[in-house]
Amino acid sequence: MVSPAAATIEPIAPLRPPTPPPSNPSRPLHTLPPPFTSSNLQLLAQGAEALVYKTTFLTPNTPCVVKYRPPKPYRHPTLDRRLTKARILAEARVLVRAGREGVSVPRVLGADWEAGWLVLGWVEGGSVRAVLDGWTERVKNRRKAYEASTGHAEEKEMLDLMSRIGSCIGHLHSIGIAHGDLTTSNIMLKSPSADLNSTTNGQAAVPSSTSSGSAIPSLAGQITLIDFGLASHMVPHSADEEGAVDLYVLERAFSATHPAAEPLFAEVLKAYGQSWKGAKGVLKRLEDVRLRGRKRSMLG
Amino acid sequence: MIAIGLEGSANKIAVGVISHPHPSKPPIVLANLRHTYNSPPGEGFQPKETALHHRAWVVRLIKQAVKQAGVKIEDIDCVCYTKGPGMFAPLQSTALAARTIALLWKKPLVGVNHCVGHIEMGRAITGANNPVVLYVSGGNTQVIAYSANRYRIFGETLDIAIGNCIDRFARVLMIPNDPFPGYNVEQLAKHGKHLVDIPYTVKGMDASFTGILAAAELLAKGIDEKLPPEKRLKTESGELVTKEDLCFSLQETVFAILVEITERAMAHVGATQVLVVGGVGSNVRLQQMMGLMARDRGGSVFATDERFCIDNGIMIAHAGLLEWGTGVTTPLEDSGCTQRFRTDEVYVGWRDD
Amino acid sequence: MAQVRTILLPHFEDYPVQVAMFKDVTNASFLRSQLLQANPDFDYAFLDAAMILSPLPLFLAITLSLHSTLSPATSPLRTRTPHSELVFRLHPNNNIGESYRKFGISDDTTNLIAVKFSLTPDVTNESVAKHLSEAVQGVSVDVGEDGSELGLFADLSKIKKIYKVNDGGVKGKGGKKGVTDQVGTVKDERSALENIIMGVMTLKGS
Repeated sequence: MVSPAAATIEPIAPLRPPTPPPSNPSRPLHTLPPPFTSSNLQLLAQGAEALVYKTTFLTPNTPCVVKYRPPKPYRHPTLDRRLTKARILAEARVLVRAGREGVSVPRVLGADWEAGWLVLGWVEGGSVRAVLDGWTERVKNRRKAYEASTGHAEEKEMLDLMSRIGSCIGHLHSIGIAHGDLTTSNIMLKSPSADLNSTTNGQAAVPSSTSSGSAIPSLAGQITLIDFGLASHMVPHSADEEGAVDLYVLERAFSATHPAAEPLFAEVLKAYGQSWKGAKGVLKRLEDVRLRGRKRSMLG
Repeated sequence: MIAIGLEGSANKIAVGVISHPHPSKPPIVLANLRHTYNSPPGEGFQPKETALHHRAWVVRLIKQAVKQAGVKIEDIDCVCYTKGPGMFAPLQSTALAARTIALLWKKPLVGVNHCVGHIEMGRAITGANNPVVLYVSGGNTQVIAYSANRYRIFGETLDIAIGNCIDRFARVLMIPNDPFPGYNVEQLAKHGKHLVDIPYTVKGMDASFTGILAAAELLAKGIDEKLPPEKRLKTESGELVTKEDLCFSLQETVFAILVEITERAMAHVGATQVLVVGGVGSNVRLQQMMGLMARDRGGSVFATDERFCIDNGIMIAHAGLLEWGTGVTTPLEDSGCTQRFRTDEVYVGWRDD
Repeated sequence: MAQVRTILLPHFEDYPVQVAMFKDVTNASFLRSQLLQANPDFDYAFLDAAMILSPLPLFLAITLSLHSTLSPATSPLRTRTPHSELVFRLHPNNNIGESYRKFGISDDTTNLIAVKFSLTPDVTNESVAKHLSEAVQGVSVDVGEDGSELGLFADLSKIKKIYKVNDGGVKGKGGKKGVTDQVGTVKDERSALENIIMGVMTLKGS
């Protein structure tokens, strides 16, 4: 029980002037492990987890992506090796599995999980994000110009694209894989012209957002999902939840693009609903996830 | 501007008095007192006993804090208290005390979000202007970044808080609660050498710690000295695993999880500064690991020591006074408290970046 | 004179690889016996061309064995030599003997791919061409720069069987509204199979 008389009050020393820690201008650069030398590599992204480079692999005409997970100096070396290996293998396994089942994803071209690298096939094309950005831009311009009629054909094509996206996600979920980071940047429209074995190294079929507003890009091309760094094989008892979180993340990405893009997402869900037998359960769960805002309210 | 702040969301009752002389000058701590309720070894603190403790101590602390601060009652601008999140009964005792002195002294009340208190205090004493914040305590595990007048939660625990995980791990190993379980785990970990496999669960920017507790039970059984040596847990080199090894492995694993989700948030928002707040934030190994990560990203870590990491009244007075400065007060009829109070519910009107 | 193609793999430009292909080979059993006797003059990877679908999987096996030869710390060789490693790397499982039986030369092999790493300066395109001309009784097949001829003798059903791909091949793409045109189907099936093989080879031993 409480016995106040026995204890004393802890005084806490007063505030001292702020002492910011020294910053480190001499930032260590990562050197890639063999066989990769920096000369013919182009850094694409530096995420928290991995450095992503574009280069060629196997033949000078086979463009690829190298994902290198550098050792984390803060982690115990044993734990670091364990995690790096597990994550490279998880990503590679999910991609090989999805590829076998006919979901369009980057192919796996090689790995050394002890050294921390994974080589994936390059996907030539534009992201759905770029498509949406271009589309919303044109919608805005048309509204200004009062020429709603010209958008009709494009509208139909956009809905068809949404439908293909929905089917593709359904296909992925139907084989028991959750993407884990399903943003519009991670859904690509693979250029129909991009031959598998030869790099054109040139124009993507879908222009980036910078060139939007003028010409209407082709929406042909296969829906291809990329960046499976956070993907997982779904656990049966939480499959609805994992699928719903995928859809929720994508829905947020749509609404973040532009309010006009939100109705398009309904088309994604419609096609998703018809794509596989577990879709109903996932869509029902999606309503809960929306209410909850992904995160549950927390106890103090 | 002067405020008094009352904090009692967990097992500490604390009172602080702070002065904000001018927006361009650092705040001045006039008084900062607290008293901790320690439960017996192998037990956590229960809401009822903790509330009794707070009630027994709060008046004494308020009197002493005002005396120590050397201020007259009429100099105090507002009474700040922790509205939540936290344990309900202790929160209620503290809110009651705050309402009483507010009515007695005829001062406005300001209900403060406990997490925001930690963040603002951390920013004030470290000088980190716009860091990603890792808030780690017995009740909370959140990765937070400021955007458009909110402290937004980028990642958090999907189940139990990190401090809770460490406390329960300590309890399974019968490690004492005094001064607090995490401190004793930290001291034992310094003598650990061997890394034992402990579940590591990260999902995007979120983390999960319940798997660790299940593993802890098994590990504790494996190092029981009553077992014959051949049945006891051994390292790869054949040595017996010790309690110290388990504490070491726990820290290496759970802190790696925390640093990883923090790094993901930093990469996401493009930040280089990181601020660690909350009771677990006083752990030196966590600070060291966070520092290595931040250095790798070309940035730095800001950490406070236990005087401000651990719950205190000053942080409530400080955050409350910032809010009061924007014209916000809590009317008496709304001056309750709440167990659930998300960091991103607070409108941060005092920042304009 | 046998025609030999020198391959420079990206990132391994300092380590050329000599590749030659023969059809209507009549002395496979002799070649195999030289391998079994470990005759140092016959330090090659002799492969049954029926098991090679296309250049990329072969290039991946070559790349992985070169990588293991050069970086044993992270990717140790699991066989004795770079050439045996190459045969081993092609097989989905970890059985070395089985790798030789399925992918290596057998007494009745008629279409042959010979691979030799230039790890020392004395191994050149010319030296390999000269030696193979004497050693192999068969018709030399010119391998072009992109190596596409390497898949010329692929036995699809054998390859599918060993990599456990059902006869239906890879399942339909993109569901009902798949956008692949019909003309591309055969090519698509090959490239899908190729991708599976490379995935399996990458994950081997994990």
